[in-house]
Amino acid sequence: MAGEIKGIIDTIIARRSKGNPTIALTTKTKFILKGIDPDRYDRASPDDPVIIAKVKAIAVEMGVGI
Amino acid sequence: MSIKTAYSTKEIPDAITDLKAQSGDCRPRAVIFFASSKYNPVELSRQMQAAFPDACVAGCSTAGEIASGKMIGESVAVMFLDEETVGQTASAVVENLREGVSVSGAFAKMERELHAPVSSLDIEKYVGIVLADGLSGAEETLMDKLGDRTDVLFVGGSAGDDLKFASTYVMIDGRSYNNAAVLLLLELKRGFDIVKTQSFQTTGKTLVATEVDEPLRLVAEFDHKPALEAYAQALGVSPKEASAEFMRHPLGLMVDGDPFVRSPQRLHERGILFYCQIKKGMELEVLKATDIVAHTRQAIEARKASGKPIAGIIDFQCILRTLQLRGEKRCDQYGAIFDGIPTAGFSTYGEAFLGHMNQTSTMLVFR
Repeated sequence: MAGEIKGIIDTIIARRSKGNPTIALTTKTKFILKGIDPDRYDRASPDDPVIIAKVKAIAVEMGVGI
Repeated sequence: MSIKTAYSTKEIPDAITDLKAQSGDCRPRAVIFFASSKYNPVELSRQMQAAFPDACVAGCSTAGEIASGKMIGESVAVMFLDEETVGQTASAVVENLREGVSVSGAFAKMERELHAPVSSLDIEKYVGIVLADGLSGAEETLMDKLGDRTDVLFVGGSAGDDLKFASTYVMIDGRSYNNAAVLLLLELKRGFDIVKTQSFQTTGKTLVATEVDEPLRLVAEFDHKPALEAYAQALGVSPKEASAEFMRHPLGLMVDGDPFVRSPQRLHERGILFYCQIKKGMELEVLKATDIVAHTRQAIEARKASGKPIAGIIDFQCILRTLQLRGEKRCDQYGAIFDGIPTAGFSTYGEAFLGHMNQTSTMLVFR
């Protein structure tokens, strides 16, 4: 399976920013500062369970339900 | 004028009298001050609040102050923001940073003061200022938690103590604290911008942190090699020579080409200690120092060229930049960049904007 990491990251950014491009950019920066670079993942990225757990934890920290 | 700045090198209580006189007919809604470690923080905070009883009064100790066009020391530098600039204000203290950061109580207090959830605030109008104990080692966690809780942008710096590294203070509401951070939320009626500038270029070399001790801000290994060996190899110098390159060659966590600088501090028996946490797996660019004055001037000129007014600036300037400017005897040139702009600021033990960083100036620009 592939693409789950990208899907979760996109969902968090979309829900957090609600279409505001400034918030989308700052949320992406927050991901990088937390150790996850959204640009490194795409729809073909393998579903690494360690990274999936990390991005799900970030969703909880940011108050976004997945 | 809706934003005024002042500074005084006098002792307490004369410094307070001096600053009050310089504030003139300004009736500030917010007073933000940056003070040399020569001042007793308990007395300073108490007397500053007493001098401006109707204002939200907050500040911190420093490693050098900045006041319009001047880099100074052994002084209190102040910015007065009146009701033309500031609408609502809210403030809170986050205590016991070293024991684990929780911002819930601080946010609850600020929400009571604002009569609104922080999540409902207009991020174009509301800005956060964060002043943290510069010796707490907790700024990364603090900024992370603030960023989780809100999309309001927080900018600020870590308090200093004139390079004594003994105790730093944050001050608010007439009280002083260490092992704590002060949070301010200000409604800025004309809006604001944040300028983040650091004077480095990339070298094209990267290092991946493969073994770290995050709480200690230590990197044990880059690219699965001892950290010093890998860093030295990236620079093309011997491990013995590498620590002499720390100031000129920090590392950058890149965000769309913009580095969030992580500065090596010193060697440790297990690797390299940094002034900022680096997480395992982070890929970092090796940076090369360029001209601080030229870069900062460029950043301010670019902001001026945007056509938006600049009513004032708070400059949170890394002490490492200040030390470099002092060494190059270019403090006057740096100060001159801000000529004609009401400016206050200080030399920090770390800068804040979205995260914690080093060798950077983060600036709050008031429109």
